[in-house]
Amino acid sequence: MSVSKANVSNMKNVFVVRRRKDKIFNVLAFCLLLVLTALVMFPIWWIFRSALMTNAELYAYPPTFLPYVWRFENFSATLEQFPFWMYLKNTFTIIAPSVFGAVITATMGGYAFARLRFRGKKFLFTLCVGSMLLPSMVTLVPLYIGWTRIANLSGTYWPLILPHFCGGGAFNIFLIRQFIMTVPRELDEAATIDGCGYFKILISIIIPAIKSAMIVVALLKFIELWNDLLQQVIYINYQKDFTIALGLSLFKGSLKSDWSKIMCATCMAFIPGVTFYIIGQKYLVEGIVMTGLKN
Amino acid sequence: MMKKMLALLLCAMMVFGLCASALAEDGAVHITYSYWGTPDEAASTQAVLDTYNASQNKIFVELLCIPNEQYTTKLQAMAVANEMPDCGIMNENGVLAFANAGLLADVSDMYEGKDSQPLDCVTFKNEGVTPVAFSGCNEILMMFYNKDMFDAAGVDYPPTKVEDAWTWEEFIDVSKKLTIDKNGLHPEDEGFDSENIVQYGCVVDNWTWQLEVWAQSNGGSWFSPDGKECLINSPEAIESIQKVADLTLVEHVMPLYLGLNDEGIIRSVASGTVAMATGGAWNIGTCMSSSGIDFGIGVLPKMKEAVTACTSGPQVVFSQSKHLAEAKEFIAWYTQEENSWNLIETGIWMPLLEKYYTQEEAIDTWLKDEEFPIKDYDMAKSVLVDYTLSSAKSACWYYTPNTNEFTDLLRSVLGAVWTGDQTAEQAITENFDALSDTITEDF
Amino acid sequence: MNISATTGKSKLRKAESRTAYLCLIPSILGLSIITYIPLIAVFILSFFSWKGFDTAKFVGIANYVRLFTKDPYFYDSIQATVSYAFMAVIGSMLWSLMIAMLLNRKVPARSFFRAVFYLPYVLPAMAVYLGWSWLYDYNHGFFNYIISVLGGSKVMFLDNANMIIPSLSMIAVWLSGNLIVIFIAGLQNVPRIYHEAAEIDGANGWQRFWNITLPCMTPIIFYNLLMALVTNLQVVTPALALTSGGPGNSTTFMSYLMYRYAFINNKLGYSCAISAVFFVLIGIFTGILFATSKSWIFYMGDDNE
Repeated sequence: MSVSKANVSNMKNVFVVRRRKDKIFNVLAFCLLLVLTALVMFPIWWIFRSALMTNAELYAYPPTFLPYVWRFENFSATLEQFPFWMYLKNTFTIIAPSVFGAVITATMGGYAFARLRFRGKKFLFTLCVGSMLLPSMVTLVPLYIGWTRIANLSGTYWPLILPHFCGGGAFNIFLIRQFIMTVPRELDEAATIDGCGYFKILISIIIPAIKSAMIVVALLKFIELWNDLLQQVIYINYQKDFTIALGLSLFKGSLKSDWSKIMCATCMAFIPGVTFYIIGQKYLVEGIVMTGLKN
Repeated sequence: MMKKMLALLLCAMMVFGLCASALAEDGAVHITYSYWGTPDEAASTQAVLDTYNASQNKIFVELLCIPNEQYTTKLQAMAVANEMPDCGIMNENGVLAFANAGLLADVSDMYEGKDSQPLDCVTFKNEGVTPVAFSGCNEILMMFYNKDMFDAAGVDYPPTKVEDAWTWEEFIDVSKKLTIDKNGLHPEDEGFDSENIVQYGCVVDNWTWQLEVWAQSNGGSWFSPDGKECLINSPEAIESIQKVADLTLVEHVMPLYLGLNDEGIIRSVASGTVAMATGGAWNIGTCMSSSGIDFGIGVLPKMKEAVTACTSGPQVVFSQSKHLAEAKEFIAWYTQEENSWNLIETGIWMPLLEKYYTQEEAIDTWLKDEEFPIKDYDMAKSVLVDYTLSSAKSACWYYTPNTNEFTDLLRSVLGAVWTGDQTAEQAITENFDALSDTITEDF
Repeated sequence: MNISATTGKSKLRKAESRTAYLCLIPSILGLSIITYIPLIAVFILSFFSWKGFDTAKFVGIANYVRLFTKDPYFYDSIQATVSYAFMAVIGSMLWSLMIAMLLNRKVPARSFFRAVFYLPYVLPAMAVYLGWSWLYDYNHGFFNYIISVLGGSKVMFLDNANMIIPSLSMIAVWLSGNLIVIFIAGLQNVPRIYHEAAEIDGANGWQRFWNITLPCMTPIIFYNLLMALVTNLQVVTPALALTSGGPGNSTTFMSYLMYRYAFINNKLGYSCAISAVFFVLIGIFTGILFATSKSWIFYMGDDNE
């Protein structure tokens, strides 16, 4: 009796001490995070301030943290030479259908792997997970030959879009599968008893339940395509078809380019990705937490 | 809420994305003309095409703009896909390879019966003999300088006449006077701080192909005249590279450049941080005239002989074209100076035909054009016209195949030379076999 | 169990597998046409000499012989790839684990911080490298300014063959927001109860990190390590966007070399030979990782499912 009482008070003590300690650590962590945030944000700030300067200021030594004059007109001057809106339209012409295709086909694949029984499931699933490890760079040349010579699709966006209609990548299939496995089976069993087909179950039960996972897939795909350069370099030929990334490299490579304008263009290129991220970031972490990437 | 917004955004971008533009049909033969250059240059090229398209209704030419850096790559990729444009400008380093692979249509009759022929130094010749393509214009290397910086230092401007060309030593002396550290000291002064230089005296552009001119100036060469043998390991060629590297390493008059990109002028004279820099004539129009800097042009210094290099992309018809006749007709029209005059009068191109260098009247229409950025006629005539005639030598790709592979490898080999980790002699000797292989090997 | 019930069941089974195959059509297409068939094609093409616009010539192992005996870039490219992958993976793993640990505490404005550290990852790579090249610039860059203010001598971040890989790895660390998110997810799955038990036993924060957090995180660490390794071995963007493989060959990564041979020099067959070697190389690295994984991954009993 007395022993257990002592234990209880001891435990209480431990927790009180812990809470106090935790608080101190949290303040420390907060300060550290502030410093690190400054570090991480610094390059972005540097690019932004460079965008607002004249070239003379930009090359001046020593460099300054703030422009003397905030030349926001640099942006409009840049827009005259840098057809941002055209590039943006082109970029989304590629990204939008790709994201759409990836979400749809990954959901279908994930559903099959999570819920349905069929012959060869284990084999296919192994192939699928295995392809996650397969470096996509390796198949660059044969795919290029395939798309341009066999499928005869060079000069179009199809080689950049169609692959995403093919399952949307092993990781995304896997992610959706993990999500579907958290949906209680009782739900679709009940629906089966009500006479629903498997497709019906997918559409009316599974998809509403895993919407946030689909958003995660969409975001991941968006970021992946947004970051891509090599595929675009290879498959897109003409300036009128250029994406933002290619437009930037053209802008940089062009003989007349000046760095303050390049930085303006760089800043503009940041905007769409950041916008999407701010809207969707809430789902990203939650989504990945929920998959429980344990095995 | 957020979900809905996201869904809405996704839908919006779907619609946005699917709105593809379509071209109206008008009965004319549509051909494509591919071009590299900046969006600005593309605009002036487009203006030329608009004139052509408006002048007749048989042929409609569309401009396809490909970035300079990827130009040959893209053309080759399109050749693989069998969907090359009908005609276009080409990167110089791919011409002989394209000609040998049968990708270029024969345009040798293009100047038959014309009153003036293209400059010989900008004619591509297989093995240095058989003409296979003509450049679309001419460009030579020269010196650009910032007049204010020279005035401030009380130094004479770079010479404009080839017979007055500085020797390399004179060039270094002048560069030293123009190099200033943060305490206002020059490289020869005691206590000069080479870590904190605020104004550099010079830039000798080491964008790889431009280095060849120094080997020639030093009495050497990179290749034999038939383009079959690599001579970059000759003492003259090696010494010339070392001399350029020493401008940074020993003399501290030039900022460190690795020759990784074609930005020598933009990052130096045009940005107002360097007093003088070597560069191609196109810089007059592409960056100097709009830089706001009071600039002048002069001849290059010499190591032993006064030499400059000349080059320019050829205008070609591709043999994969389904409209060979129309493409040829357009190119023949397009390569007449009058039809790309806006590129010439703004200083981006120099004329191709000999008469613009030899006949007074033709020279005047060019250099006395109101738009021409250099108002000092004597300076312009001496540097652009006389210098071309007296000292211009074809760049290596006019007679040597696979110079693309060669310059790629040379660029990577020389990286350690610019930073001083290796001498030019070590770097070239070590890699000579590989360098030499690039122009002959087929695998 | 009567007969009609079993046939009903088998009918259901049939419908089930039919749906499954239908759902999997895109994935199967993807796996075959854009993954495994091209992989086989790489090995076949590597025995040919082919420029793309001429007819392919069978050359046996000549491509491999040139690659291993004569190629002026090949060994440098392996070195560049491996050293970059090594530095970028280690750097970004440590950085992102640290950030994730900090963000796993109950600090104010947590979601703001989470957004900040993930942010670089959503910026287009081309723009990122352009921006950073400015910071790193030898003549006008910010970092060199700081160094010279502190009295050091200027560093050639991008121009020196020995500095460029660390410099690029720094950018990779900066870009590692995706790893942070996965680490955060992993940390949230570490059962709270373990920590509480350990605390009662008097373990301090450091001990708890070593004995509880880290072991529980090993599966996630393994996953991140694997993915980061495979991604970083395939590095190509810095070379495309910024360095063109230089200075020297210090950033001629294998992927970039492949790209250059295939798309600039038109040596399609030869480039496939590099791809094949590259594939084997990555296989070796992931194989090593898998082989050692059993000895250091700690699987939490059966607390799930």
